Amino acid sequence: MKDFVLGVESTAHTFSASVVSSDGEILSNSKSVYKSPEGSGIHPFEASQSHLASAARVLADALHNSGIPQDEIRAVAYAMGPGLGPCLRVGAVAARTLALSLGVPLVPVNHAIGHIELGCLLTGAKDPIVLLVSGGHTMIISFSGGKWRILGESLDLTLGQLLDQFGRHHGFASPCGAAIEDAALKSVNYLKLPYSVKGNDVSFSGLLTASKALLDGGETFYDVAYSIQETAFAMVTEVTERALAFTSKKEVIIVGGVAANRRLGAMMTAMAKRHSSKLYMTPLEYSGDCGAQIAWTGWLAIERGIEIPIEDSKVRQSWRLDTVEIPWRS
Amino acid sequence: MTRLKSPGEADYASGRLIYRGAEADIIKGEWQGLDVVYKVRKPLEYRLPILDGAIRQRRTLREAEMIHQAKKAGVEAPCLYHVDPASATLVMEFVSGDRLRDLIGRISTVELAQVFFMFGRDVARLHASGIMHGDLTTANVVRRGKSLVFIDFGLSMRSERLEDHAVDIRLIKETVVGAHSDFALEALEAFYKGYSTLVGETRFRQVMRQLQNIERRGRYARVA
Repeated sequence: MKDFVLGVESTAHTFSASVVSSDGEILSNSKSVYKSPEGSGIHPFEASQSHLASAARVLADALHNSGIPQDEIRAVAYAMGPGLGPCLRVGAVAARTLALSLGVPLVPVNHAIGHIELGCLLTGAKDPIVLLVSGGHTMIISFSGGKWRILGESLDLTLGQLLDQFGRHHGFASPCGAAIEDAALKSVNYLKLPYSVKGNDVSFSGLLTASKALLDGGETFYDVAYSIQETAFAMVTEVTERALAFTSKKEVIIVGGVAANRRLGAMMTAMAKRHSSKLYMTPLEYSGDCGAQIAWTGWLAIERGIEIPIEDSKVRQSWRLDTVEIPWRS
Repeated sequence: MTRLKSPGEADYASGRLIYRGAEADIIKGEWQGLDVVYKVRKPLEYRLPILDGAIRQRRTLREAEMIHQAKKAGVEAPCLYHVDPASATLVMEFVSGDRLRDLIGRISTVELAQVFFMFGRDVARLHASGIMHGDLTTANVVRRGKSLVFIDFGLSMRSERLEDHAVDIRLIKETVVGAHSDFALEALEAFYKGYSTLVGETRFRQVMRQLQNIERRGRYARVA
């Protein structure tokens, strides 16, 4: 018999809920996304207010659209962290309430691991090198010794922050990735920018400063958008390539919000080919934050008996993914 | 006197690709009658040619310079025969031996500790001479006889900065914990011992403190 898990995601701008089945079918995935004002980023409190306002509707939609009766939900999973405190708390309160009223276990899920596990489910990747790129993360990850391990990461800004802060400097509202991608398509004029790879790690702060300076100095947004993409994406592709060559793994997967960018996908495809490895891309609908990543990982966890008593179910704004034991892969 | 040919494609066409790294192809072949490796930084298709060309040339020249600097610091590095910036190619001695990566798990814990002690000591020699290696993974160090040979200086640079030295150590920690988690504790402990023996307790503590600062800057990190 199939089991069903409801997952709640609320780490940043997205409040989302989803029902998945134990055989990996996503039965529903409803969401509401907080939009920040132009020229600014996520205001944590305002995002949490937006989540509060839409939580009941999103949860009801997720349950309704799944077609699964409430009494067949086996567990409720929630994104315990990492993320913005006020936003996380809304999801946690909603998940606790549901778990209590349905009389089912509550399952804590690490948001980043959710991205990885959902990506693997949807693409069929078994043991990949993971490039996790979003507003909250820029990491190269590989499974070893019972945990997802970080082989490389950004030493300062994430790739999402780099693009967002650059876009906001030009007056866009976060998230700016899509607008920058469109602008970059209108240029082939590369302006020199700092390329900073330190071992397996990257650093974006100098790149951001230099890009802003180019804009302020009168270069066109198109040219700078093109140049920042070419530079930053080549940097993360290079460090992913290093991890791939180092581990000799045969699969690479891109997960997280920035996975939606086609130029990054093309670079990663060319890189994987050089190493006779297969590149997997998480389908667009599920590459960004969503309830399905929490629901699916929640299922993997509850199947191994991982749950949390309501009274201990705090949120963890800082929760590095390499501290989480992964019994379902060992 | 025979004029040396530039080691273009033709010279290593008969060679054998022994390793495809992220950055370069390592081709075993012959050069002027010697057994050598060609380290060729081939153009990377995913990088814009203008960006790619500059990076490959810069790293090739710097690597040649840093191999020389490492030897002055008392650390073994391959013998360098020829440098060709135009094709981003280095012709070097073939270093036979086992990469540390391949030794781990095959040798006893005691022997592993000895190897990592040497590793730490040699890294300290580089740092004490103002060299940041920049790419200290267990794939880039080969055990040859009783000593270690550092084979990849592609990301090395001159630096006395605490931050850069700590970044070096951080990469070792990241690699050892990430790829060799079963042996991480023993290996790192031996490494630190070797390192501190050479640079002294005070400098070692400073580097470790800086390493902690860097880790704290990491995303979602809670460093004890």
